[in-house]
Amino acid sequence: MRDIKRHRSVYVLLAIPLVYYIIFKYVPIFNGQIAFKDYMALDGVLGSQWVGLKHFKTFINSYYFVELLRNTLMYSFGKLVFSLPLAIILAIAIYESNRPRLRKVVQTLAYLPHFLSWVIMYGILLALLAPGDGILNDIIKLFGGKPIDFLTNTKAFPWIVILSDAWKEMGWSAIIFIAALMGIDPSLFEAALVEGANSWQRVRYITLPSIRPVIVIVVLLRLGTILDAGFNQIFMLYSTPVLSVADIIDTWVYRQGLLEFQFGLATAVGLFKGVIGMFLILGSNRLVKRFGGNSLY
Amino acid sequence: MKKQCIVCIALIALLSLVSLPLFSQGTAEAAKPAGPVTIELWYGAAITEAGPPPADWVGFQIIKDKLNIDLKLTALPSNESDQDVKVQAAAAANNLPDLFMVRRDVLTRLVPQGLIASVDDMYAKMPIRTKTHYDEVSRSHARFNGKAYGLADPGSIIKNEGLLIRKDWLDNLGLAVPTTTDELLAVMRAFTFNDPDGNGKNDTYGYGAFQEINNYEAWPGRRLEPIFGAFGVDGTWDMTASAAGLNLFKPEFYDAMAYLKQMVDEGIIDPNWLAYKKDDFRAAWKQGRFGIMREQNAAYAAQANYAPFDKNFPNGEWIVIDAPKGPKGHASIGPYTANFRIYAISAKAEKEGKKDKIAQLLEWMASDEGYYLLGWGVEGVNYTKDANGVPVAANLPDANLAFSAPGGQTVTQLRNMVFYNGDIELYARYPKYVTETSKKEMSALDVMRIMQTKKWTAAIGSDTLPIPNADLKRFYEQGLSEFITGKRVLTKDNWNKWLDEFKKLGGQDWNDKGVAFAKENNLLY
Repeated sequence: MRDIKRHRSVYVLLAIPLVYYIIFKYVPIFNGQIAFKDYMALDGVLGSQWVGLKHFKTFINSYYFVELLRNTLMYSFGKLVFSLPLAIILAIAIYESNRPRLRKVVQTLAYLPHFLSWVIMYGILLALLAPGDGILNDIIKLFGGKPIDFLTNTKAFPWIVILSDAWKEMGWSAIIFIAALMGIDPSLFEAALVEGANSWQRVRYITLPSIRPVIVIVVLLRLGTILDAGFNQIFMLYSTPVLSVADIIDTWVYRQGLLEFQFGLATAVGLFKGVIGMFLILGSNRLVKRFGGNSLY
Repeated sequence: MKKQCIVCIALIALLSLVSLPLFSQGTAEAAKPAGPVTIELWYGAAITEAGPPPADWVGFQIIKDKLNIDLKLTALPSNESDQDVKVQAAAAANNLPDLFMVRRDVLTRLVPQGLIASVDDMYAKMPIRTKTHYDEVSRSHARFNGKAYGLADPGSIIKNEGLLIRKDWLDNLGLAVPTTTDELLAVMRAFTFNDPDGNGKNDTYGYGAFQEINNYEAWPGRRLEPIFGAFGVDGTWDMTASAAGLNLFKPEFYDAMAYLKQMVDEGIIDPNWLAYKKDDFRAAWKQGRFGIMREQNAAYAAQANYAPFDKNFPNGEWIVIDAPKGPKGHASIGPYTANFRIYAISAKAEKEGKKDKIAQLLEWMASDEGYYLLGWGVEGVNYTKDANGVPVAANLPDANLAFSAPGGQTVTQLRNMVFYNGDIELYARYPKYVTETSKKEMSALDVMRIMQTKKWTAAIGSDTLPIPNADLKRFYEQGLSEFITGKRVLTKDNWNKWLDEFKKLGGQDWNDKGVAFAKENNLLY
């Protein structure tokens, strides 16, 4: 008690996220049982009839299951593969820059898109990519090319999703790497300079190995949400002609679960995603540990 | 340890003391005089870009004084999907408001859950309102298993859209108004390739559209119905007794698809049509991107909506034309059905004994006092009446508080709960005006009257037919769009194969259920 009293400010600080997690993360676990029930609002969570694995079977046997899983994984891994290296490169570039004003400008410009909603981003993308009068297509037409319907073409659409996400989130994702870079002992760079190392060698032999633990942790955490491919973005960007490459698990759940009042089904899919994510984190963490890396726990 | 236990017990005791009044609330309330009944209303805003009625809106006090009702208002999102999600999320938590606007599709899901109160007994309690708002078609619109579960108020006016063409472009190119699909093709080509606006740039297209679909106007949706109407397959359903069923199954649907594909392949429809949302489409015609479109009367001709076009093209002129005739003589602007806005009462509100109060509230809204207050605001502040008794936004001390001005729009947000498309409303809503730049006399009401004279396809009740599940709906929409964009090659053979797959996936069952429902409910003609 005396310890708690002495460090009460720390406990108060701890209490805020703790309360958040209890209310928004732990309490809803109780409602997870809806996944195994035929949920009737009047009967409530406890009073609804058990239906076993019916909703899981509905999801797995649904006509588009394989396509949904494929698209979801494509966007998740695509974003991981593109966005993460770009964020690391940006962080290193900002860190290495010896022009403080330029650094600040670049940093601010890179963060800015993160604060724009996907509704606004869609407007920007339409202005850039529309086949009729998009800026990019105007340039293509100027050089004698044929306009490309980027937003409604099944070949172009996945790239638009991945690249626009990279553009929007690159700056924000770089923050954690910039923080890690700030923690590198400057004497290492000084020693490398004395030894005659050039910029690239400093990055390769000091910077990247130093931030490797952070990169591993970020990748591990991303794997936990690998079946979250970015509902807001896809929901704003997709249209009927590109559904075959745009429909992901979350958009399907929105249509089939939320709009059709099948909350049991929506919860079952949420649970399915959570379980897959958990196994991915456990598995990859064990792998990282086995190969001597910095694991999550 | 002992000390901690004592602290815990003391805390629990203290909390119990504090919470005691909460548990004894019923007894304490019983002694007090009956306070106002709280009615929570989720409404569809009349002007989505304006805010809700302000906290000091005079209506709240009048409703409290006259009806003993404390009205709590919440505006539903303007987007239908967002509306559905909000209502269904509340339903899932058994936390629906007392009275709320709801789409029929959603209502079909909430009724079996036991979340909605029947409203059959309400009509007799609201004689004035029932006379103006609820005819027999309205009463049957939200009827399930013989009981009405929603008060279906008159919605937007039927046949209030039309096929419009740029007359100035026709004149510039020396062309006549197209009357057949062949002539339409020729005009679309000319609008695309012959520089109809004479600006020397290759920046115009024949037809403009966007994907606007609902359960009786399936993909490609409302904006292209005049094309499908020319082949006799406009709308999701054929509601004639002799050929009832999904239009998709008719051979003419293939012909309509081939025509649309030709428009796409020749580049005579604005290529942005698949990417446009509603606002993009409307911005596009105001910027002169295309010369033929299907548009709503007010979205085209209301003062604020026409002003940007008038400014950009003072010599520009749109005219409403007849639907073009197809190879077999069919023509239609599209299907029409009776439009309603459904307000439902939650079972929770009924259980709490609020139904009578809700009836009182709705009946008051239909009285002269409620009608004008909710429809136009306070006389002398938000409107005045002209010689014919029509509310007008003239001779007001503060023009910004006029019912049509930004400052006054907030007090008319509930107007859709009182309007029933009577003449006064139409004259007030669509006044004649002179455009600022070109000085043309315009009237959205005149435009609407012209639109209503054109040929439409009766499909009353087709919006109440069963809806497909999400996977089947996706298969339908995606398949058609892939034929149009070229991902699937549009040949008779491919089309039939795709149709077979659609039937197997549940399309045939959907068709059969729809026809059976239409027969049971006497919707075929």
